[in-house]
Amino acid sequence: MVDLKEKVIVIDPDKCVGCHSCEMACSLKNFGKAHPYYSRIRITEFRDVNTFIPITCQQCEEASCIKVCPMGARYRLENGAVVTNQDACIGCRACMFACYQGAPVIDPESGKTMTCDKCVGEEMPWCVKACSMQNALEYVPKYMVNSTSGKKFAWELREEYKPKGIKDEGSEFGFSFG
Amino acid sequence: MHGWVGNRLRVDLTEGKATVENLSPQYLRKWVGGRGLNSDIVYHETWEGMDPLDPANPLCFASGPLTGTFSPLAGRTTVSALSPMTCSYRGTNVHGHGDTNMGGQFATYLKYAGYDQIVVKGRADKPVYIFIDDDKISIRDASHLWGQGVKVATKNIIEELGDPEIKVALIGPAGENLVKFACVVNTFSNSGGRTGMGCVMGSKNLKAIAIRGTKPLTYADPVKFAEEAWMLRERVRTSPSAIRRKAEGTWDLFDAGNAIGINANKNHSTGYMKGIEETYGGLVFADKYLFRRKACWSCPVACGRYTYFKDGKHAGKHFGGPEMEAACNLGTRLDSYDLEGAVWLSGIVNELGMDCISAGAALSWSMEAYEKGLITKEDTGGIEFKWADMETSEKVLYMIANREGYGDILAEGNSRVAEKLGVGAGIVPHCRGLEHISVDPRIATGFSLGYAMSTRGSDHLKNYSCNEFPGCAMSRKDQIVDALGPELTEVFWKDFPNELTSFATKPQLCYWSERNKCVADLMGTCCHAIGSWGGLGDWRAYTTLYRLATGFDMPDEEIFVAAERVVSIERANWLRSGSARQDDTHIDRFFDEPVADGPYKGLKIDRKVWAWAQDEYYKLHGWDEEGFITDVKLKDLNLEEVIPDMEHGRKLYREYMEQQK
Repeated sequence: MVDLKEKVIVIDPDKCVGCHSCEMACSLKNFGKAHPYYSRIRITEFRDVNTFIPITCQQCEEASCIKVCPMGARYRLENGAVVTNQDACIGCRACMFACYQGAPVIDPESGKTMTCDKCVGEEMPWCVKACSMQNALEYVPKYMVNSTSGKKFAWELREEYKPKGIKDEGSEFGFSFG
Repeated sequence: MHGWVGNRLRVDLTEGKATVENLSPQYLRKWVGGRGLNSDIVYHETWEGMDPLDPANPLCFASGPLTGTFSPLAGRTTVSALSPMTCSYRGTNVHGHGDTNMGGQFATYLKYAGYDQIVVKGRADKPVYIFIDDDKISIRDASHLWGQGVKVATKNIIEELGDPEIKVALIGPAGENLVKFACVVNTFSNSGGRTGMGCVMGSKNLKAIAIRGTKPLTYADPVKFAEEAWMLRERVRTSPSAIRRKAEGTWDLFDAGNAIGINANKNHSTGYMKGIEETYGGLVFADKYLFRRKACWSCPVACGRYTYFKDGKHAGKHFGGPEMEAACNLGTRLDSYDLEGAVWLSGIVNELGMDCISAGAALSWSMEAYEKGLITKEDTGGIEFKWADMETSEKVLYMIANREGYGDILAEGNSRVAEKLGVGAGIVPHCRGLEHISVDPRIATGFSLGYAMSTRGSDHLKNYSCNEFPGCAMSRKDQIVDALGPELTEVFWKDFPNELTSFATKPQLCYWSERNKCVADLMGTCCHAIGSWGGLGDWRAYTTLYRLATGFDMPDEEIFVAAERVVSIERANWLRSGSARQDDTHIDRFFDEPVADGPYKGLKIDRKVWAWAQDEYYKLHGWDEEGFITDVKLKDLNLEEVIPDMEHGRKLYREYMEQQK
């Protein structure tokens, strides 16, 4: 049985403004340092068209990184996150290429790979918390993913079908379940 | 070193050499950061009477101790040099301290590359750009980039170096052609506009500085730093002003400004435009042209705008900006109701690399002078100026950047234009040669005093005058007590918030805000962080983060002394050229000509009250009545080396005053 209450990080690039707070939070949490290269979430910037794409591990159910790892170093934590066992990892970077979005990144201190562990033990991953003004990142249970920023279809239809002329409490930046 | 990197990079373009200096903890304690490091270099490595376009003029880029960390709102770069734009009543060839502050990501990557500050001197014999690849510094040919606009050149440099993570600060054609108000732009569209730093960069034949930084910053106490930073971030997130900034950007003052009639429409002749809120303003812009907001480094607010024209004349065009000042100075200042036109002009100004305020001022001055018959077609080379003529304005902007025809004259900055043509000096709204932003100094008295007392020429951000609007400083009595001491606070608080138009408590307000704003600049944080609209944190939150990041045991009092030191050294840069009290004032227009329209119709500044306000402000700083910093004060601030320069400056000032009699 899939635990539908297990929370995942949902990314909406349309809301990302390229402030890199998530990277700063991640590198501070995990290394006590500040640099995007020490972060497990990365924003790829296209400043010429003001477009920003955050990329972090989506903890796939059938994770190709687990399958491809020659050392069996990629494994799943109890909270669902897929991480690298750095003791076993040889740093071949196969997981990076096997991943459809290239989420695993190189740990600058060991040269092996690392991915998001959803800040084990914290109520909310730091990157999501750091994005709480923009909500480009949200931390939602799996059963809600389709109704948040991951899928806006219902929210677009809401505009069309809701009672007309009522006072709408929803903010212009969308509704957050975070 | 934590927080800091502890290195200063010096590049000499004449010799083609780069050297690295270590910054000692004692030195950093003295000057703290960003603006402080720069102001020290600019004062001590220039001299009275120096030509700002002299190769020896040090062009400095600095970051603050919080830049590039998890601290919110800390992504600012300060760019400083002796300013070619500003001048004194002693003569338009008298120059002083110039600096400008820009957002974006440049300062962050400067630190990641391993430097707190770059100081560029010398002049290359052909166009070049500097590529800083961590420890490897190379000076590369930029002939093929010369003449290219900001966005195009940024893209070309990134493609040439083959790494999308390279950050570029550069000048546009205006800087290359030594337009006096050319700006420096980084991260495609974050501009440092004021005081002509782009002109200094152009005079060095330096097109750009590109940075790749791969080294991390460390914190002295990461755990506590994180705790404090989260608290501050939560405060920012829930603050009403941050939410408003998010929706409207820096435009949030526009509507209110028009309602009380303080906007600088029609070259500062009226503050009120009927019905403008229908076609103009932050929400109108957001509705029509805003594509997606953009943020500076580590800023959760993201007030930056990005324009995309879905339809209309410019359909398909997109560019960064405009902020409120760009759209006001290229719109309402030209008496135009046309938001689309203003936004388009701001895009052009950005691409050409000019300061939108001074560029708008050059246009509006020409329009008023032409209307009044002070200049004719013969002066302008056949161009007919009339109010709200956006097409002519567009043409003239290109002429300024390329220094063609009449544009060549305007490129010198309004004060020098008026001097050269021999007319219209009375309709250049400026202090020390730098034009006012779009707030009328006759009504908003805090702005009025702030403009005049600012250490870089007319400016609302040095004496962060927005604090004067009711509601901004209201809940901050405790802060004021800390800043001014209990006795002064009583004076200040008694009738606060006072009337907008009264000077009564404005000297204290200016003094207090100036110091807080300077703390923000020292930390490398945004002006919205400290001494701004309530809720984005106060200086204490940031100084706490500073201590936790750097591990310096530096109490707030010591940081305040450092802030005072920085303000003083900048002021001293002016004083040593004899630019003192005579320049801390407004043009006659604001004393003689009443406000034309709006709720404050008929208001003007009273000369006696103004003199009183000047005196009060000087007293708070511990300056004498001529506006000079006293020897005692300089000794207190450990600036003994400045004392002989003050003597020299006083002599020049008194000679000037004698002549005036």
